[in-house]
Amino acid sequence: MKRSLFGRLWPNVTAVVLFIGFVFPVYWMFATALKPTGDIITEDPVWFPTDVTFEHFRTAVGVDHFWTYVTNSLVVTVCAVVLSLVVALVGSFALARMRFRGRRGFVIGFMLAQMAPWEVMIIAMYMIVRDASMLNSLVPLTAFYMMMILPFTILTLRGFVAAVPRDLEEAAMVDGCTRAQAFRRVILPLLAPGLMSTSLFGFVTAWNEFPLVLVVNKEAEAQTLPLWLSSFQTAFGDDWGATMAASSLFAVPILILFLFLQRKAVSGLTAGAVKG
Amino acid sequence: MKRKLVAAIGVAGMMVSIAACGGDDGDGGKAGADGYAGQTLTVWVMDGSSPDQWQKDVTAAFEKKTKAKVKFEIQQWNGIQQKLTTALSEENPPDVFEIGNTQTPAYAKTGGLAELADLKSSIGADWTESLNNASVYEGKQYAAPWYFASRVVVYNKKVWADAGIKELPKTRDEFYADLKQIGSKTKAEPIYLPGQNWYHFVGLVVGEGAELVKKDGDKYVSNLDDPKVTAAMETYKKFQALSKAPKDKDEATPQQSEVFAKGNVGAFIGMGWEAATAVKANPEIEKQIGYFTIPGATADKPEGVFLGGSNLAVAAGSKKQELAKEFLRIALSDQYEGELAKQNGVIPNKESLQTNLKGNAAAEAAAPAAAGGGTTPLIPEWAAVENAPNPIKTYMTAVLNGKTPAAAAKQVEDEFNKRLSQQQ
Amino acid sequence: MTVQTERPPSGPADVRKTAGAGAPGTPTPRAASRTGGFAPYLLLLPACAATVLLLGWPLLKDVLLSFQNLNMAQLIQHVTEWNGISNYQKVLTGEDFWRVTLRSILFTAVNVVLIMVVGTLVGLLLARLGKRMRITLMIGLVLAWAMPVVAATTVYQWLFAQRFGVVNWVLDRLGWHSMADYSWTSSQLSTFFVVTVLIVWMSIPFVAVNLYAATTTIPGELYEAAALDGAGVWKSFTTVTLPFLRPFLYATTFLEIIWVFKAFVQVFTINGGGPDRLTETLPVYAYIEGVGNQHYGMGAAIAVLTILILLGLTAHYLRIVLKQEEDEL
Repeated sequence: MKRSLFGRLWPNVTAVVLFIGFVFPVYWMFATALKPTGDIITEDPVWFPTDVTFEHFRTAVGVDHFWTYVTNSLVVTVCAVVLSLVVALVGSFALARMRFRGRRGFVIGFMLAQMAPWEVMIIAMYMIVRDASMLNSLVPLTAFYMMMILPFTILTLRGFVAAVPRDLEEAAMVDGCTRAQAFRRVILPLLAPGLMSTSLFGFVTAWNEFPLVLVVNKEAEAQTLPLWLSSFQTAFGDDWGATMAASSLFAVPILILFLFLQRKAVSGLTAGAVKG
Repeated sequence: MKRKLVAAIGVAGMMVSIAACGGDDGDGGKAGADGYAGQTLTVWVMDGSSPDQWQKDVTAAFEKKTKAKVKFEIQQWNGIQQKLTTALSEENPPDVFEIGNTQTPAYAKTGGLAELADLKSSIGADWTESLNNASVYEGKQYAAPWYFASRVVVYNKKVWADAGIKELPKTRDEFYADLKQIGSKTKAEPIYLPGQNWYHFVGLVVGEGAELVKKDGDKYVSNLDDPKVTAAMETYKKFQALSKAPKDKDEATPQQSEVFAKGNVGAFIGMGWEAATAVKANPEIEKQIGYFTIPGATADKPEGVFLGGSNLAVAAGSKKQELAKEFLRIALSDQYEGELAKQNGVIPNKESLQTNLKGNAAAEAAAPAAAGGGTTPLIPEWAAVENAPNPIKTYMTAVLNGKTPAAAAKQVEDEFNKRLSQQQ
Repeated sequence: MTVQTERPPSGPADVRKTAGAGAPGTPTPRAASRTGGFAPYLLLLPACAATVLLLGWPLLKDVLLSFQNLNMAQLIQHVTEWNGISNYQKVLTGEDFWRVTLRSILFTAVNVVLIMVVGTLVGLLLARLGKRMRITLMIGLVLAWAMPVVAATTVYQWLFAQRFGVVNWVLDRLGWHSMADYSWTSSQLSTFFVVTVLIVWMSIPFVAVNLYAATTTIPGELYEAAALDGAGVWKSFTTVTLPFLRPFLYATTFLEIIWVFKAFVQVFTINGGGPDRLTETLPVYAYIEGVGNQHYGMGAAIAVLTILILLGLTAHYLRIVLKQEEDEL
């Protein structure tokens, strides 16, 4: 089928416009962070940071306890994601592959759990943590973050598990594997994209959370990066260079993770599906 | 083991990871039998209210006397009530904390503050009566007055000289004219006055001889529709129009002193010590900073000011009551109370210490207005009004954005009254 | 990250279903082995235990708090003061709550419609593009998608800043000079505008990328068959693409409704629910009344009502899922 010049042109033009629209805020964040203040506060925007400076990054990193926040954020996020993957994988296997009384109830239960508006329950959560004498600790944070991402993870993985051809599993079982072995040797590798894509979601959610940590952990030693970023914004509200540098630092791990994993996750999903 | 159910592995993994995720758990250590050695006292102070040097000196004196350690934690005014309330309910609240004078009655009522009767009788005999009022609730002493301050005009001498202004303004009109002149003769912003510097607005209201609330039976209700309050708001609006500052932000977002520090602002209305923040942000600004009393309607009477102040309180839930009082005895001693007054230019809690203010330009500029200063009503109901979104701020922004004061007063009246009658 | 549908997100199961019952892929009794016994429950145990402990408990606590008079004093002194349904009475009889509810629903509707429509269009566009262009656009989408909410919100505040904000500059250059110093946080509508742009910007990539991925799984034969029947572009879209994507679209809409309705950080950070509390959505309202005003019992009551409303909004979809699960067994 031959398309007219216009027919070939407009999708590309639209794509370029969209690309700019989606990338610009991200670009502007980095650009602002790298420009000297004089180039930020100008009547006419300086579109490209010609005079690159790392001064704003130094301000952002120079805040007390910065590295504590980084460590805490990483520990909490990674633990929460890994935990929820393990718990969800096991559960999703049951939901996707087994028949048992009450299965439907479980599925609906997790869907409901997914809807929980955590921010409005902050005080209840705070009082539970307080009364359990677990304030200023990373343990309750990890546990709650794990729970925030668990329903999504379990429901998504269930889809991935179900999409793995049953015949494969059966073949493995015929070959003398136990069900657990079949799961580990045959299904698990096929689930890799699913695990990646759900862990991305989990990572982002846990990495971002701040209403809970704000009230639960008042001591800097147990605080995380989102608090640093939001307090930074109050303290340096007018210093957009430093604020953007802080935002960039906060965003970079996720951006890298996404660019790295997303392609695999999506292409894996696609490939798997096509093969099926 | 490997043949076990996957579930078992999952559970085991969960335990291991949780253990691995454990953070460190505070210092928990209680004092031994001998004195306070090994204990750490946590002290919350507000951002900018006490200079580093003062903290260092007090820490040294405290540690020398008690052998215990002290940890200062700097807090932001925004959201402080929410943080303080939850903190006071915890097992390990901050032992000593700074609390705004307008917020003290509410917290005294909650039972979160330890009674300090003995402290008052041992070191507080000559605390200035009017400054101590906010610390007393139902006849009992719940906090110790720490320092007081009122706002002044902090100005940039260079900008004013560039505009060709030789003499500092004595009246509100002269002040306005000077700012206008800066606007027309220089590239600087004449004044940085955000729309929600509500402490300054309270000052203007005090200057008009009005109050923000009035009594209706045994309840307090909004008095924003009072013509005197309207007049105060009109004054605010007139000056705010000279500023490019956002109409819906307060002086702390961004910190006005940091905007001023960039050297391109003629003046701002703030606490004397805010100049120190400006110098920290830009050391070169130091020699350009000057202060003067906020001019009133006539030359003989300066503008009304909000007598801001802070008290030091001890958490009722603190397990280190004695140590906390020990800290107060040192921090509020003539030596360190005097040092604070000197370094920050704030009014100390005793008249005898006011000599420390001599030679402090900011304090000298503030002094003439202090006599005519006032506060928001010192009632427990007031603290709720200051919670975000503060209806007074909403009122100000509404007027600045073009609403008539009467309409704006009407708009926030319900919210204001609701907060004043909020169940405690 | 991908979307969960009631059935596998794409491919095999769907194809099998459409292939009709009795086809080789249909679960045989043996394959769907009734593992009976405790195995499935055991496998679900960790997830359920976590849910009960970490979600059920706070939820229960929240419900309990909603029947209490819990303010500063009670919280500080750990006192429990039951006050029956008085919190609910106050919330439900005041007009604030209903206004906020209506606002929340409208806000959610506008955002979800925008996200779904634009997201679908972008997803279909991706399918149409050449490889190089597609990867380019994909990278752009993924970057926006990956921006953490807190950072994105900060960046949008800077883009829409009154002074030196790049948006105002562009509008001014385009000839709209009154926007040169415009304060986006000064009115209800403009605040919502910024929040909506932010949320839509952040959410479209999820829909678009996943939708694109799903379209690639549509068997080409279906299009060939449609073409043989003489179907045009539009016809093959409505007869092949759309039906194939329907479960996906349902599931995504459901997720977006939840996510937008719950959006807290974006609304709260951009303008704190201001000006004059005019942009408070239910979660923000619950937070401001509860935590902000230190009226914790009242906040809990609003939280409970918020959850009920969210349930109401998604009831339709939940019912569909319920039925589908039934069919599958």
